[in-house]
Amino acid sequence: MNLVESILARASGRKSVEPGEIVIAEVDRMIMHDLSGYMTARVYDEKVSKPLKHPDRVIMVFDHLFSPPREQEAEVLKSGREWAAKYGIRLLDCGNGNIHNAVARNGFIGPGMVVVGSDSHTPVHGALGAFAVAVGNDCHAGMVFPHGKAWFRVPSTVRIELSGTLRAGTTPRDVALWLVSRIGEDGAVYKALEFGGPFIEALGLFDRWLFPLITVDVGAKCGYIEPDEKVFEFARAANAMQCWSGLEIAPRHERRPEAVLTYDVSSIEPQVACPPTVGNVKPVSEVAGKSVQWAEIGGHGGGRVEDIRMLAQVLGGKSVHPAVRLNVVPSSRAVFKQALDEGLVQVLHAAGALWFPPSTGSNQSVNMGAMAAGEAMISTHSRNFPGRNGSADASMYLGSALTVAASALRGCLTDVREML
Amino acid sequence: MSAPTKTGADPQASASAKTGAGPQASAVAKAAETSSVKGAAGTAPRTFAQKAIERASGSSGLAPGTIVEVEPDLYMSHTASWRCIKTFEKLPGAAIRHPERIAMVMDHISPAPTAQVAGHHRLCREFARAHGVGHFFDVNEGIAHLVLMERGLIKPGEVIIGTDSHSTIYGALGALGTGVGFSEITATWVTGVLWMMVPDSMKVTLEGKLPAGVYPKDIMLRLIGDLTADGATYLSVEFEGGLTAAMSISQRMTLCNLAMELGAKNAFVKPDAVAYEYLTAAGVEDPARHALISDAGASYVRESRIDAARLPPQVACPHTVDNVRPVGEVAGLKLDQVFVGSCANAKYDDLVEVARILKGRRVAAGIRMLVTPGSRDTMKRAADSGVLSTLIEAGAIITNPGCGACAGDGGAMDKGEVTLSTANRNFRGRMGSYESDIYLASPATAAASALTGVITDPREVLQ
Repeated sequence: MNLVESILARASGRKSVEPGEIVIAEVDRMIMHDLSGYMTARVYDEKVSKPLKHPDRVIMVFDHLFSPPREQEAEVLKSGREWAAKYGIRLLDCGNGNIHNAVARNGFIGPGMVVVGSDSHTPVHGALGAFAVAVGNDCHAGMVFPHGKAWFRVPSTVRIELSGTLRAGTTPRDVALWLVSRIGEDGAVYKALEFGGPFIEALGLFDRWLFPLITVDVGAKCGYIEPDEKVFEFARAANAMQCWSGLEIAPRHERRPEAVLTYDVSSIEPQVACPPTVGNVKPVSEVAGKSVQWAEIGGHGGGRVEDIRMLAQVLGGKSVHPAVRLNVVPSSRAVFKQALDEGLVQVLHAAGALWFPPSTGSNQSVNMGAMAAGEAMISTHSRNFPGRNGSADASMYLGSALTVAASALRGCLTDVREML
Repeated sequence: MSAPTKTGADPQASASAKTGAGPQASAVAKAAETSSVKGAAGTAPRTFAQKAIERASGSSGLAPGTIVEVEPDLYMSHTASWRCIKTFEKLPGAAIRHPERIAMVMDHISPAPTAQVAGHHRLCREFARAHGVGHFFDVNEGIAHLVLMERGLIKPGEVIIGTDSHSTIYGALGALGTGVGFSEITATWVTGVLWMMVPDSMKVTLEGKLPAGVYPKDIMLRLIGDLTADGATYLSVEFEGGLTAAMSISQRMTLCNLAMELGAKNAFVKPDAVAYEYLTAAGVEDPARHALISDAGASYVRESRIDAARLPPQVACPHTVDNVRPVGEVAGLKLDQVFVGSCANAKYDDLVEVARILKGRRVAAGIRMLVTPGSRDTMKRAADSGVLSTLIEAGAIITNPGCGACAGDGGAMDKGEVTLSTANRNFRGRMGSYESDIYLASPATAAASALTGVITDPREVLQ
């Protein structure tokens, strides 16, 4: 069995499982954000008359809202706080960061766990060696809360083997975006994506994070990277190793993935996902020159300290183009603090960047960060659907922190290699 | 002569000492009459306000009550500049008379929460570019008032109009600042002039040394509580006395900002070495060029005096700024949110005071603490000095420089919630629900209360 099969066997109390089988698995972690949590809590309170089985396994993170603009949003947060207190679940209130970074950095996720989340990018926790999937709010409320379990069809696995060395100006984010275009938006429906190979193995945890992030963009069920010492070190420090012991994973040569896709990353150029979908990926060089009014480092594809360092590397001592507003959104409180300690906040503030509190930033412009008709943004976010950030006639481009930085400097989509 | 209002000698006494409206009104009328007569003679000593309006209107011998057309030196409009632009566009063939005198600052509701607001911001940007607007400050630069003072655009003796009632703050640098409506600003764009009535003046003498835990915000809240929200309606409020002279520009800003809540037309602190040092650092050349001060013997329709030495910290309770009580009377009241922001109290030294109290401590569980630095410069200094780190470690949420929750940009409350704020207004429904409460206090009271989760006398924490 591979990692996912092994986790599902353990969680469903079986000796082994096969792809295609349906299992009922014990859920180790249930995560919700402010918006999904609000709906889940209402469904649970109104339609499910059974006790919440494992409140200690449930966490809610307020991340779309960090400072509610209206009473309506204040009510969403207030009812979330009251619900968390009523059932004794854990709450990370506004300012702690975006949901996935906040839960990982607060020791809530570890290797071998079954994690379900009412956020479509929940599979990022596969970077920590968890079986992490997104589920709907009703599933949370109706099944996971009262029973502590969820049913799954064991996915068949596609291994994505990456090797080679990145060219200057290309980052792991570019590779991940490029993979979306290679695999296709319906190229891996309900598959488990196993990312591996020397390129992946050499990456740090929060760079690996960017690969299972694309799970939803290619229709897959989950994505993961077999945990190694780097992950164990992080998980041990976070005291999140409790689901790992006893998992037996067959050696590579004994496993039979449905397919193996092998790619060399060495020739990949910086990439951007153009509107209207994440699968519309092109080399930056093909769309360079398109003017942007907004740039943002944040969201699930950015906001790590690595991204903020890249931004400072390009913008340090310079000024953001006068027609551009650049937002920087630390993914967690710890990242914001680290950025301050490293002097990155100061450098980027001087360059004209605007610092958001740790959150999902302008994602869906729930709190702020809307665009007017005709405007465009380049960001490290994970979604670019029309209308998601204000006007339906505004455009969102997704790229790496380096591409965001170069474009913010020039006022148009820019291939960062011209500056290196 | 007017009836002096003595406050602050005894906290309890001063809390209940409200001057009756009747005698006040007649004293104002009497004094106004006297000063008109003298003014007409052209020989009487003149106040700052008279002189400033005379300079800006090119006239002399103006008595209070006289209406004249002035040529303001600077016209500030904030995010709502888009309203002025929409009006301007309705005037066929209109041109901007003095684009170099226009300052636009995108401080309210920024960044944009909706496409509509984003469109307003863009309209302002494009208009500023197309018409050569002299001073355009985009999202993240900070609150208009603080930005204009920091960038050397406010000079002693000059007349500044702004689409914000707290434009009285410019008096901290010896300028005559006053709030006007959007259409007045638009009209001034086109004509370069605006009519104004010469105000009577009021003198507020501040003496004594500020005790630990007591700040200019407390003085102003006490003053507003004693004199009420119409205590200085259309008066030019001049701050004097040894304590005023000992204050920093930031502290004087708090005085002049809050003077608006007395109904003042403008506020004024005599420009001195402290002011000139600030102005020089802000890049103002020849800062004393238009400086003006009141003549000895100039007449005041109202006078008030506060001795700070025995003043306890003060809190303005819902739902008016003049509903003021010593902190002891409301201590223990449970809070949901603490907001440090606004043109009244989000300057660098305000954040320093907050950090001093929060250092090494954590905001109480269940309290959201929002800190919105007043300006880009404030944010920079706070980041450089470690103040920002202290606030983040304590659990505060830092939002971008601007008006923030004071102007309805975040910090909204649900029904039944309570915020303690360092801002200057606590009107019902200003921060979200109509059924929520806002209390106003100094940054130190805000910080101490954030630590305990209830309204707390900062002197308990500072000890």
